[in-house]
Amino acid sequence: MTPDLDFRNVSFQYEGASSPALRDIQLTIDPGEIVLVTGPAGAGKTTLCSCANGLVPHYHEGTLTGEVLVRGYSTARTRIGGLSSLVGLVFQDPESQLVAASVADEVAFGPENLGVERAEIVRRLAEALQVTRLAGFDERDPHSLSGGEQQACVVAAIYAMHPEIYVMDEPLANLDPAGRAQVFRVMVEVAKRRGKTLLLVEHALEEVLPLVDRVLVLAGGQIVRNGSVPEVLAAGDLPGAFTRPALARLAEPLGLRPLPLSPEAFVQLLSQRYRLRERTSVPMPAPPRPSGAPIVELEGLEYSYDGRNPALRGVDLTIHVGEMLAILGRNGAGKTSLIKHLIGLLQPHRGRVSVLGQDVAHTPTHTLARQLGFCFQNPNHQLVAFKVRDEIAFGLRAHDVDPAEFEPRTREALESVGMSGSEEAQIFDLGKGQRQRLALASVLALRPRILVIDEPTTGQDPTMAQEIFDILKRLNGQGTTVIVVTHKVDLAAAYCSRAVVMAEGRIAFDGSFPELLTDPERMRRLSLEPPETTRLAALLAPYGVPPWISTFDQLSEALRILVEPTDGD
Amino acid sequence: MAIEYQKGDSTFHRLDARTKLLLFAGLTILSVLILDPLMIAALFLILYEIGARSIDRKLLNRNLRVLVVIFLTFSAFQIVFFTPDDAHLLFYVVPGRQWLPVTVQGLVRAAAVFFRFFIVVLSVHLLLYTTPPVNLVLALTRRERARRALPTAGISLLLGAILFLSFQLGAAGGLSRLPLEGAARLAALAALSAGLGYAVYRIASHGLPPDMGIALSLGFATVGVLSQQAQQITDAQKARGYDVRPRNLIRRMQVLASLLMPIFLATLERSQDIAVAILARAFDYNLARRTYRRELRFHRRDYLVHALIVGLILGGLALKHYGLASPTEDWILSTISAAAP
Repeated sequence: MTPDLDFRNVSFQYEGASSPALRDIQLTIDPGEIVLVTGPAGAGKTTLCSCANGLVPHYHEGTLTGEVLVRGYSTARTRIGGLSSLVGLVFQDPESQLVAASVADEVAFGPENLGVERAEIVRRLAEALQVTRLAGFDERDPHSLSGGEQQACVVAAIYAMHPEIYVMDEPLANLDPAGRAQVFRVMVEVAKRRGKTLLLVEHALEEVLPLVDRVLVLAGGQIVRNGSVPEVLAAGDLPGAFTRPALARLAEPLGLRPLPLSPEAFVQLLSQRYRLRERTSVPMPAPPRPSGAPIVELEGLEYSYDGRNPALRGVDLTIHVGEMLAILGRNGAGKTSLIKHLIGLLQPHRGRVSVLGQDVAHTPTHTLARQLGFCFQNPNHQLVAFKVRDEIAFGLRAHDVDPAEFEPRTREALESVGMSGSEEAQIFDLGKGQRQRLALASVLALRPRILVIDEPTTGQDPTMAQEIFDILKRLNGQGTTVIVVTHKVDLAAAYCSRAVVMAEGRIAFDGSFPELLTDPERMRRLSLEPPETTRLAALLAPYGVPPWISTFDQLSEALRILVEPTDGD
Repeated sequence: MAIEYQKGDSTFHRLDARTKLLLFAGLTILSVLILDPLMIAALFLILYEIGARSIDRKLLNRNLRVLVVIFLTFSAFQIVFFTPDDAHLLFYVVPGRQWLPVTVQGLVRAAAVFFRFFIVVLSVHLLLYTTPPVNLVLALTRRERARRALPTAGISLLLGAILFLSFQLGAAGGLSRLPLEGAARLAALAALSAGLGYAVYRIASHGLPPDMGIALSLGFATVGVLSQQAQQITDAQKARGYDVRPRNLIRRMQVLASLLMPIFLATLERSQDIAVAILARAFDYNLARRTYRRELRFHRRDYLVHALIVGLILGGLALKHYGLASPTEDWILSTISAAAP
């Protein structure tokens, strides 16, 4: 049988890069296989995907050695157009892949390029929309859809080309939990049920491991693990390259085999191996009382972008000095609209916003920016200079900071984001994670009293995401009030003291994380996904495990107590 | 102010994009052809009423209102500068110096020109407001199809006949200078018209190459995204503390630079993304054999509009030919001369 994808000793180095992106890749993927590729940022995952449809070497220039065969065709000798009829590629950011003015045009674009007859295009269009649950969306503008719908539309557009092999590069990364669930269902539908080959790059192991046949771990351009799910899990973590899901890591020291992938399986294995005794539950800790003075106050805030559909419908919120608060909620719930009011980028149609005692309606944005640092989701929108030093100086100059202070402030800001000594680095050479940190540093150089940061973990691998939260926690410890908008419930629960959940322009929940996490019904209604660890803790609640804990360390400790032999055993 | 497609299902919306392009060209020719202010005003009113029924009247009014002052200025220029030798002088704007004469012909021309501009503007509005850009691009794009001899000959002959009539009506003076006589002249003219008809058909059906067409529709589809992106970047810079509208001019230039840099880079990045996205969707598979989901098809209403345009243009030429092109001006002059002692 000819493999669908056959990498024969493949190495690739981008033009101008100092080291190869892929080294000596030996890999065969058979028809119908579902393969997960994971690994840290910069490991070569996207390059691997680009090799599969000829973008490497035909579009991205560089030196390719070895050979990539797609169903026996060498990519070096076949045009991208020809390979695209066999290999369908889906990338991370759905918006950047949408090229047409309506969903129907979007889906028809590929088949049109392939010269498919009109009647057949119409048939494929209907089928693709049905499979991706977008039926009836034909005439909608793709850019007006939600993130999940956009990504489903991209999958539909690929599906209509009838490829044999799907390659999806972090298709879930930019989506909120509801969108992830939608696209995940679509992925299962197109690949598993129709028996097509799927090469999937993803960091969210908990979600995708139950779907896949095989796992590849890439690090430094090389394959460092390659095997079935149980094999790869049993082989342990690789520091800096691969961390297994928390459940697997928790199960290992307890001797649970095979390593469980779901909380239910975990509990079953645990109760088979250990005699669990019911214990009285631990009382929930009282929510922390804010000790500081109010620093941000919103009263009856209402806002609408078009005058018809309200984006915010009466938001009351008080934030105190020294708090670290997470704003959660699905896309379109009003999170970004809310925080834009804090710095005057939007002015309330009704209600009042006051920051540090100043009414935002009467204070210009650039004045507010001295005290309130604001970081956007996409660091590229914020960075203006070529060199790291100039970038930070640019902000300081805009606020008329004494030039003698530039040097120490730059040093201090870079140090707080873990980029010490990179003053002379070129911004173009920085990866996405480092750009995010630089954007943060350029805001921190102004020593704001409040930091507002929108989705700081988009497009970052789990380690980088955790590092960003570490930085935020450290700043909070030094007295900065931190407001972070995020989809990452697990990180928010581990680092933040207060959760504010938005839904349809209102605050649907405002309280502590233990309160939020122990109410699965409410979580589901607000389309929030509880972390796997919390789901496990909830299942173990009858045995005295606090059902609100969410971090690996907390749960590890709770499990240790749980299985400890007690007197009389 | 961008003219953006407005969804709707009026008869005008349902016309084929090619018909609307033809209508636009026809109306432009007509607005030049007709010099009588009453006739051109009537044409304008009919067109306006069609426009108001097909798209939002308020939107249309708002767009046209902006132009009134500008077009009035143009008209004012016509009044004082359009003064043929035999013009009927009314008065001077600066009487002492005999500066800036106002004539009957000037006034009539000014009124006609005012509506002429509006007809062209209105037909652009009608075209762009009622046609999805994709269809417009499709109408302009070449699609590889086997050309059959019979329809080609038929359409060429029809176009030739229209051209023949137009020559007869519109350029009679010029034609009489041809060295041929009687039947020979007619035969030569007929042959010329048929040849031109064929050429026009070939040129018109040639269209843009498909890659240009796709580039155009990509452009239309991404305009909104790019402006949204520019807004996000402006917001990001504001949030960093730049006063994006400072009073100080030098400061303003600096701010502009700080906006342009990321906007430029983000646009560049976006175009890279689009290049990769269309390549991944087999853009370079075989452009010449590309197919299209959207179908452009003429209906009866389209043929009616075609006939109407041709009829109006020929009618306009005929009026000119028989010296009936400016009844208003003639009537004013005859009234004045009757009243004069």
